[in-house]
Amino acid sequence: MDHSHHDEKPAKPDYDVRERAFLPELIKGLAISTTHFIRNMFGVRDTNAEVVDRVGTSLVNTVQYPEEKPIYPEGYRGLHRLVPREDGKPRCVACYMCATICPAQCIYIEAGEYDSADSSTESRVIEKYPTQFVIDELRCIVCGLCVDACPKDAIRMDTYTHTPAEYTRQGFVYDIPRLLRGPPVSHPSDPWFKRGSSQEPHHVHKEAHTRIGEGYQVRPRIEVDTSHPVAVTKWTFPTSPRD
Amino acid sequence: MATPHKRRGPDLTFGVFLAATGATIAVVFGLSAVAYLAGGWLEQFGREAKWLQLTGLHHLVMILVLMLAFVMVLATLLTLAERKWSAKMQNRIGPNRARLPLPFLKNRDLAGIPHIVTDVLKLLTKEDFVPAAASRWLFNLAPILAFGPVFALFAVVPAGPTVKVLGNDIMMAASNPDFGLLYLLGIASLAVYGTSLAGWASNNKFALLGGIRASSQMISYEVSLGLSLVGMMIVFATVKLAGPDGMSDMQSAYFAGWSTHLGNFDIGVPKWGFLLQPAGFILFFASAFAETKRAPFDAPEGESEIIGYYVEYSGMKFGLFMVAEFVEVVVLAGVLIAIFFGGPYLPFGNEWLRNLPLLRDQQWIYGAALATVFWLKVVLLCFLQLAIRWTFPRFRYDQIQTLGWKILLPLGLVNLFVTGALVLYDPSHKALAVVGLLEILVVVALTMTPSPSQKKKAEHGDGHGHAAALPASTH
Repeated sequence: MDHSHHDEKPAKPDYDVRERAFLPELIKGLAISTTHFIRNMFGVRDTNAEVVDRVGTSLVNTVQYPEEKPIYPEGYRGLHRLVPREDGKPRCVACYMCATICPAQCIYIEAGEYDSADSSTESRVIEKYPTQFVIDELRCIVCGLCVDACPKDAIRMDTYTHTPAEYTRQGFVYDIPRLLRGPPVSHPSDPWFKRGSSQEPHHVHKEAHTRIGEGYQVRPRIEVDTSHPVAVTKWTFPTSPRD
Repeated sequence: MATPHKRRGPDLTFGVFLAATGATIAVVFGLSAVAYLAGGWLEQFGREAKWLQLTGLHHLVMILVLMLAFVMVLATLLTLAERKWSAKMQNRIGPNRARLPLPFLKNRDLAGIPHIVTDVLKLLTKEDFVPAAASRWLFNLAPILAFGPVFALFAVVPAGPTVKVLGNDIMMAASNPDFGLLYLLGIASLAVYGTSLAGWASNNKFALLGGIRASSQMISYEVSLGLSLVGMMIVFATVKLAGPDGMSDMQSAYFAGWSTHLGNFDIGVPKWGFLLQPAGFILFFASAFAETKRAPFDAPEGESEIIGYYVEYSGMKFGLFMVAEFVEVVVLAGVLIAIFFGGPYLPFGNEWLRNLPLLRDQQWIYGAALATVFWLKVVLLCFLQLAIRWTFPRFRYDQIQTLGWKILLPLGLVNLFVTGALVLYDPSHKALAVVGLLEILVVVALTMTPSPSQKKKAEHGDGHGHAAALPASTH
């Protein structure tokens, strides 16, 4: 009598007759499965990468990779590229800043020197250029420090692709021909735009600014769409930096 | 850098769906028509050839068409459908990587159908491994014993009405023994040998465990499987399935007085087993599902715990177990339709269809049309079985035994007594149908109304309310 509380069984969950009979709950479960089936079978599948913008009736979220590719977010650190100048040569001046800061030590540079006897514009304003610029993408930890360290905006990670698969390790070692790609970039403050002497420069003269990045930088157009309950900020970039 | 919105059309557009369905129906109709005509011709030949003087030869055609063409092809397609449909139920895409390198296909995935070929190729080219300590003879025998009885089950299921072709009665069934349902129950219980032998002969503890689970489960559910059908045997006073006096054909009739004619079109309440015996249907479906050893009754397989009785099997021997499972799905669908869903008949309008001028003269068209109806019903019930398999989690082993012995068996007995009493009280079966309709209504009412616990959840939120916080327009 007095230790009846010891014998007390744990309280049973108060199941309803629907749950006890199992059949009604079973039918409800089937209805859910079938609804999903019909929506995914006949519904429009939306491959929009922005989840909040999806309106398709299909609930399938899978991105079918080789055929469909997800849109990487703005500022995604992708595969490196050596930024070309307008004339196609790399902007790099072989200063070793990136190779020095790289925590993975994956950048290898060999510098060449411009002939000082040469009277061209470059040799008057730049001393060095890379004869070898090699990045081992397998060692790279994609930290982006090289981009930050570069004083000449010569290395960027704005390719919006990740390192593709290769069959050999050597395939991941990128040299100048593979790295030098993408749209050329020039800044008004670039040394080759400066006048080296009182002689008229042979290149097209451009207005010189001291502030880096003014004039040619790609700027996103920002729109805030407040019609959504959750405000959606849309960044649209001109497709080429010249636009 | 932002790319514009991309929107893919539905994976299956309505037009493609209609075209595929139409083509399938045409193929089924054509094959059934060929079966009726060839059966009629063979029957005629057997009767008239002086050296033969045999009747019933048309069953040979039905064996070929029903067993090999329909059941095997449907089972093969189900191996893919299981993967593809389950993917759709789980918001996945499913197998679509196997492509045929033909230029006009433009690298389309063809709804994954090439995966059937790749699956078979893989199974055929895998090593046929036999464990060193296995009992070799039994090990090789087990897949055959698992597949054979399941395959043979379909022999008594009628897939179409009995019609006259060239003056001979042609029956769309591989055979028509007087003991139809008893054959069904007897052969179904033979399948246990395959699984238990596989478990024993593998000489593997997990396989043995799976085999024991399978045999105990199958033997337990045999009881309620048989008992749940006794109600139908009482109602129609027969154990025959096919033929004019079989259970399947009797379901094309209406309840006396519960039918009327709209012009030539007849309409009424058909004597489908589903209306007469809803409880019997649920009991039989549950027991038969346990016999197929598919989820939620897949404890013998139990891939997360013991892998099951075919753990040691590889290659096509494993493939035989797998195909047996899908053949079982098709056969169960066929049996359910023959006993509970009016066989090949429509719920109404059968008389009108039979008396259409063209169909009255050329009865094989009528037969082929109803055979098409039968296979459409089979596909629907296969879908239902797959939906059940992908909706419910596996029962615990003790729950399986509790369900079989403590719930299905007593319910089967109650159903048997109630059915017997009602048939005695009203031999026209109307009382039985009213009680059956009431049972269905109760289940529907319980399903449509939310349970108290669900109401509570709806009021207080269940702690996972993020979906509710997001507006519907964002999905």
